[in-house]
Amino acid sequence: MKIGALKESHEGEARVGITPSSTAFLKKLGHEVFIETGAGEKAGFSDQDYEAAGVTVLPSAQELTDGVDVVVKVRQPQDGEIGRMREGQTLISHFYPAQNEDLLAKAKDQGITAIAMDMVPRISRAQKMDALSSMANIAGYRAVIEAANNFPRFFTGQVTAAGKVPPAKVLVVGAGVAGLAAIGAATSLGAQVFAFDVRPEVAEQIESMGAEFVYLDFEEETKDGAETGGYAAPSSPEFREKQLEKFRELAPEMDIVITTALIPGRDAPVLWTKDMVEAMKTGSVIVDLAAEKGGNCELTEPDQRIVSENGVVIIGYTDFPSRMATQASELYGNNIRHFVTDLTPGKDGVIDHNMEDDVIRGATVAHAGEVTYPPPKPKVAAIAAQKPKEKKKDLTAEERRAAEVAAFKAETKSQVTLLAGGGILLLLIGLVAPASFMSHFIVFVLACFVGFKVIWNVAHSLHTPLMAITNAISSIIILGALMQIGSGHWLVVILASLAVLMAGVNIFGGFLVTRRMLAMFQKS
Amino acid sequence: MEYGFTTAAYVVAAILFILSLGGLSGQESAKRAIWYGIVGMGLAVLATLFGPGAGNWWLSVILIAIGGGVGYVVAKRVQMTEMPQLVAAMHSLVGLAAVFVGFNAQLELGRVLRAKAAGLPDAVAVTGEQGAAVIPVNLFRGFAEVLTHKTPAELNMLQIEVFLGVFIGAVTFTGSIVAFGKLAGKIDGKPRKLPGGHLLNAGAAILSLILGLMYIGDVGPSFFWLILIALLACFIGWHLIMGIGGADMPVVVSMLNSYSGWAAAAIGFTLSNDLLIVTGALVGSSGAILSYIMCKAMNRNFVSVILGGFGGETGPAAEIEGEQVPIDADGVATALNEADSVVIVPGYGMAVAQAQQAVSELTRKLRAAGKEVRFAIHPVAGRLPGHMNVLLAEAKVPYDIVLEMEEINDDFPSTDVVIVIGSNDIVNPAAQDDPNSPIAGMPVLEVWKAKNVFVSKRGQGTGYSGIENPLFFKENTRMFYGDAKDSINALLPLVE
Repeated sequence: MKIGALKESHEGEARVGITPSSTAFLKKLGHEVFIETGAGEKAGFSDQDYEAAGVTVLPSAQELTDGVDVVVKVRQPQDGEIGRMREGQTLISHFYPAQNEDLLAKAKDQGITAIAMDMVPRISRAQKMDALSSMANIAGYRAVIEAANNFPRFFTGQVTAAGKVPPAKVLVVGAGVAGLAAIGAATSLGAQVFAFDVRPEVAEQIESMGAEFVYLDFEEETKDGAETGGYAAPSSPEFREKQLEKFRELAPEMDIVITTALIPGRDAPVLWTKDMVEAMKTGSVIVDLAAEKGGNCELTEPDQRIVSENGVVIIGYTDFPSRMATQASELYGNNIRHFVTDLTPGKDGVIDHNMEDDVIRGATVAHAGEVTYPPPKPKVAAIAAQKPKEKKKDLTAEERRAAEVAAFKAETKSQVTLLAGGGILLLLIGLVAPASFMSHFIVFVLACFVGFKVIWNVAHSLHTPLMAITNAISSIIILGALMQIGSGHWLVVILASLAVLMAGVNIFGGFLVTRRMLAMFQKS
Repeated sequence: MEYGFTTAAYVVAAILFILSLGGLSGQESAKRAIWYGIVGMGLAVLATLFGPGAGNWWLSVILIAIGGGVGYVVAKRVQMTEMPQLVAAMHSLVGLAAVFVGFNAQLELGRVLRAKAAGLPDAVAVTGEQGAAVIPVNLFRGFAEVLTHKTPAELNMLQIEVFLGVFIGAVTFTGSIVAFGKLAGKIDGKPRKLPGGHLLNAGAAILSLILGLMYIGDVGPSFFWLILIALLACFIGWHLIMGIGGADMPVVVSMLNSYSGWAAAAIGFTLSNDLLIVTGALVGSSGAILSYIMCKAMNRNFVSVILGGFGGETGPAAEIEGEQVPIDADGVATALNEADSVVIVPGYGMAVAQAQQAVSELTRKLRAAGKEVRFAIHPVAGRLPGHMNVLLAEAKVPYDIVLEMEEINDDFPSTDVVIVIGSNDIVNPAAQDDPNSPIAGMPVLEVWKAKNVFVSKRGQGTGYSGIENPLFFKENTRMFYGDAKDSINALLPLVE
């Protein structure tokens, strides 16, 4: 099959869908690779680079579209681009089918197969094709860099001869891929990072990246993130209120705020209101990664860097990945070629659009004259359902006291029961058994008791020596034989002699072996 | 006066024994503990030799010397890997000795009773009159003399004690021999039962109880009953342990250890010897606790272990997908050279292949290269509690890098390479994942959480329990087939 990448027509878009390095993999699958001239220019890949990698460079979008079977793009196609396509052609690009119903209808009418890279299901097998994640990773990193660029102070705290510099305080709202990438970049610059997310289960991930999770004291049946494929679900109004209250409290302290909160298929929730911006210090920076969907910050203007009245810089760029076009193209190109690998199971250059496959089915939004969005639920659950975590509540002093008393009572009860039971048993035995027996019996019971107490403390690694030594000690039976060996009866003497002999073997053998074993234990 | 001296020596010996067992709480104090035990035993034997009731002094000394010589030679010669069977074999000696001492007690009792009957017929009437028997002391020496002073009630008690001592001793005797055979590979390790299974055991036990009652009640020929009881108990011991699989031997050995203690305690009652009672009780409780610990480590019920074999399966075990991917020494060496942290999980296979020296050498090399090397020991690894620790100690692996399951299980996710050497069930993830698995719920070492797992194994067979191990089919697992010793030796030159 012939696969070709168009030059992006959207203004400011610098990425490209196929790179010279991804070409090699596509060719291995048996495909021919084409590109529109100048498509990789802004991402740092010249036409010569492509030609060197074995890509045929075509002079215009029209010729490319006509000449290939599979059209690869980064952004969602514009009317002209999709209009040029013919029936039976395949388009691989971002699509956002939920927001672009017209586009979807157009794809259907034209009979093209549209694969939306933003619809790749979030299952482990498909991670290598997850363009949203790879782009979000870049966006998160870049957001911190943009913030640092606009922030008039250090990120890291320093004590210098000229004075002390406090570390910048960074708040990351939304700990998805972008949020986590931002946390990582900010902590490695030395900032003190706080992070918030409506999904309490990500607290662990946040902490693992070196940030502090901002806890919200709110009792609600939070929806399990696994149900929604790892994305956040909309929250209740009460929860939102509580959340805003927390942000209001944090706003004056924070130097950098990076918001990444997105809900699939909806406008971004407003989480950073005007009054919060006003409460922030002059020179603070807000980077709104949700600007494209309206922004998490009330004042955000998409694609603009604005400065609020009190001197807070609000960055609403929507092209963070494009600002790192080389890196972004490399990763996106890899996502594409992984997807094509799945589409070409035979590695023979023949595309088999298998609608039974969870990943292919999920990403395909239009196929054979039908709209195939939304896809059915994937057969494999995206993420293993989280087990409800047991919350360890900090007990109050009284509760702890009560628990201790209860435990003490239970222990006392069990001990008293045991003692009483044992005592009664002893009394019963005492009633029938002769006195001389009882005196020995007491010794016996005490010895058992001492044995139990002592053996519990034996180290596990010494269990074999313990067995060897108890074995040696159990040859104390020799005493019995020795007491009988002096008897007047010949049979008794013989049996006792044998017993002495055997016990003798045991004493020496047992102790010697134990010694050999113990002598070997050594410290490093 | 002499009696007072003996008792004093016994008290000291008892305290020394307790200190000796207590000293095993740490490796360093254990080296001192063994001497407490030796001194205690020497003191006890000497005190008994010089104490009341002992005779044939020279015979005793010569026999102890001969026995000691044999014991010395055996203990010097034995390989550390043969330790389990040695311990089992020695238990059988204690068991048999207990049986003999029990027989003797009955023989002496018979003599005393006959003499009493001859001398003072009405005094020993079964009516239980206080038989103020005055028998010429010089007629009986030693233990028999003590018997002459007993009341009929005490004599009945004594017979109960003899019964218990002989019974437990005989079970220990044959049970230990079977355990020895299984551990030494002389008897097939698979559970085997005669037709009738445990009913046969129960029948034998009931029969011996009846015989015991007849013996105590002085119905018929007492000594003959006692011998029958011993034979029945021998059968029970043999059949019981034959029915238990090789994988459960750690529990069996510690259980037999416990039995030998209880037998000694029962004999101690018979002979009115407090030191025997104390020591027997110490050994008995120690064995009981060890058995309990082992059972807990395997998540098995003690009764089900004793009744032998694994419990009935509750459903089909989960199907395992994937295949076992083999790897050669180069591959393992590359992974080891790149790793920072390595955990080695040894099992019985390491003992069988005598690979502990090679493993120790590998450890030394890896540590010299600045890598963190640790050992993870499952409580039931090997055939004896703490078996692996002893083998590694023999190969001079420092004990502070040898860790228990609880200590190391949380560290596997951050471990680069895990090498599993000859263990199977103790690293089987089915214990956690598959509720239908026969070992479901048994605590296992979570090696599959590490980045790479290499399994050194002879072939594709299953482990002792005969259960398929999904670990071998995991994506991050590679099978390093071959004899453990040869495999590790092949690695040594490749590891820098």
